[in-house]
Amino acid sequence: MMISRRIWQKRPPTSSWIFLRPYTSQIAVPSPSPSLFPVQTPSLIGFLSSYAASSFRSVYKISSLEMPTMVSRCCYSNHALADLPASGIVDVPLAQTGEGIAECELLKWFVKEGDEIEEFQPLCAVQSDKATIEITSRYKGKVAQLLHAPGNIVKVGETLLKLVVGDSAVPTSSSDVLESVKPPGSENSPDSKLNKDTVGGVLATPAVRNLAKLYGINLNDVDGTGKDGRVLKEDVLKYAVQKGAADGPSAASVSADCREQLLGEEETYPQTFAEVKWYPDDKTVPLRGFQRTMVKTMSMAAKIPHFHYVEEINCDALVKLKASFQNNNSDPNIKHTFLPSLIKSLSMAMSKYPFMNSCFNEESLEVILKGSHNIGIAMATQHGLAVPNIKNVQSLSILEITKELSRLQQLAKDNELNPADNSGGTITLSNIGAIGGKFGAPLLNLPEVAIIAMGRIEKVPRLSDDGNVYPSSIMTVNIGADHRVLDGATVAKFCNEWKQLIENPELLLLQMR
Amino acid sequence: MIQQQGKKVGLPLMNLVRLNRTPILKQLHLEEKLLRKSSTNWCIINDGTDTPAIVMGISGKPSELLEIGSVLRDQVPVIKRFTGGGTVVVDKGTVFVTLICNKDDVPGVQPYPRSIMSWSGLLYNQVFKGIADFQLRENDYVFGNRKFGGNAQSITKNRWIHHTSFLWDYAEGNMAFLKQPARAPEYRMERGHTEFICRMNEYLPRTDFIEKTTEAVETYFSVKNVNLEATEEPCGAEFVPSTRLLSKQELEEALGPQPEIIGVSV
Repeated sequence: MMISRRIWQKRPPTSSWIFLRPYTSQIAVPSPSPSLFPVQTPSLIGFLSSYAASSFRSVYKISSLEMPTMVSRCCYSNHALADLPASGIVDVPLAQTGEGIAECELLKWFVKEGDEIEEFQPLCAVQSDKATIEITSRYKGKVAQLLHAPGNIVKVGETLLKLVVGDSAVPTSSSDVLESVKPPGSENSPDSKLNKDTVGGVLATPAVRNLAKLYGINLNDVDGTGKDGRVLKEDVLKYAVQKGAADGPSAASVSADCREQLLGEEETYPQTFAEVKWYPDDKTVPLRGFQRTMVKTMSMAAKIPHFHYVEEINCDALVKLKASFQNNNSDPNIKHTFLPSLIKSLSMAMSKYPFMNSCFNEESLEVILKGSHNIGIAMATQHGLAVPNIKNVQSLSILEITKELSRLQQLAKDNELNPADNSGGTITLSNIGAIGGKFGAPLLNLPEVAIIAMGRIEKVPRLSDDGNVYPSSIMTVNIGADHRVLDGATVAKFCNEWKQLIENPELLLLQMR
Repeated sequence: MIQQQGKKVGLPLMNLVRLNRTPILKQLHLEEKLLRKSSTNWCIINDGTDTPAIVMGISGKPSELLEIGSVLRDQVPVIKRFTGGGTVVVDKGTVFVTLICNKDDVPGVQPYPRSIMSWSGLLYNQVFKGIADFQLRENDYVFGNRKFGGNAQSITKNRWIHHTSFLWDYAEGNMAFLKQPARAPEYRMERGHTEFICRMNEYLPRTDFIEKTTEAVETYFSVKNVNLEATEEPCGAEFVPSTRLLSKQELEEALGPQPEIIGVSV
């Protein structure tokens, strides 16, 4: 008994707490469901009192971590009644689930605001670690407000929802507080105003509450025309107009015209809405990382005299090649695409036209023909444009190129490309067609002298020699070149070579070592 | 004998359903239905599932828990179950044991996760007594410090379910579908899957395990063997389970945007 009294004294004075009966393996006590107890009933008090100090003590000895918390939050009838908010709204917090877990994820509500609920009715489901748990209501009442949305993490002890507790749920032994509590809905009684004041929390959705807040309106002052006195959006707007009119002509923010508009026209926004910003503000975004680099590189590239060469490439054979690679693929980690074949054939063509794989020294007027074919692949990531390159493509097989491409792609996605991956490129491929567009006019990736933009592979009709129409997969490419180093003829011949290898991939075998 | 029978007479009834290679999705649908719609106690033992599958807890996020690329490539079904807990890869080497109980039929066990978990630990202690160094460690069943059984629960107003997937055997390659989880028990100590788990088949025969489990359940309940048809009876009207198979689209969305290599679209 002594322990019980000490506990009562420790009870926090504000919101009512949940009592969750402690679990124990030693004492078999008839247990309620894991439910929410805004207040304790006299009967339970009686039960606890008669249970005797020894068993009470032993209960609290067994449970370790949870108990001190629970003890401090236990509430018993007398104190609970005295602390029952005059409004009749009770805060219902998330109970300790006995695991020593500090928080749970709210999975789902079984009720909504305004619902009448019965004692022991399931209110929501939460998840704590290994278990999903249905939380039931200890009381009969009405849901006033849900304070969390599914997916929220709720700390133990945090309020889950507010309940309007009905007469039957409130013990009758207390006097002055209870007499003023009437069930919501009796708005025609003389006590209706008192009702609202007393009940405090008016029935209204969060959106309506926000609107009232915007207007600086106390919801308690608004007559609700919804079910059970619920305050609706129209009620708030109407009140806002009336309030504006009542405040006198100096309240220029609300005019008669506006009132008409408020009450049903399309243009429903009075000038008070001027407080609400309907014209979006400018937003300043500092450029960082890849985007910042792009400013510099593109500014420099724009100074270079470019020319562009456009060609169409028939990809029918490439489509068959890719299909063959996929059908004969035994490694689940590898996904075959068109690009590695295009990269390899590009390298083969560059072997014949080494000026395409070079860089230009402006000061010394020298062209450095690069030995390695380090082919850069432009990648649009969420962090910006990245151009990592595959080193020494001339020495790699198509399969090796495929794996290396995948590696770089993953690093780019995670923003973990290292400087070595991004530097040392000798030519760049940009398949803007993956996103859209027929072809682009790319800018050079300095100090390279050539860049190739590839449009998407499209099925288009073609005419055969005998005049028949047949479908063909066509890709349009645009080669951007540094006209200080490359001329049109060189680029055209190089492109012809590349095109031939793509359209006749078996020719790659001729040069295979 | 009379005393034993007398003891059994006083025990609450439990229906035992034995399944073999029943698809895990079907099993989970059945379990959820029995939990929510039946008022009887049930024990379900499914000796393996037909094809490999990944089963996540109710709030599992594929992007955090799975190597989605591999999952999509191998077209492994991904299921989100109605109970909490972690992610498992199940196949024919997994033995499933499920207990669905009325809270009042298990004296001394409160309808809270820890209480149910502890009670289950006592039950399986009987199964493995003298066979292996069995323990309930945090929320897992272990031999020594290696996990062989994972648990999950769901607790409703008057009933609860506690189900376990036991690693009788497993394919190493399948574990590669799972990422190292962000939330892991302390005793795991950063170990990778293969260092953390172990196979039950190294300790006792499969049939022995199932038999001993049934015997252990019989110490708490009066067990009656029933067939699958019996599960149809109590529930009547159509039940819509929340356990579901994730679609390919959901998994692809979870994979997130790949850098558009301004790379040739395939």
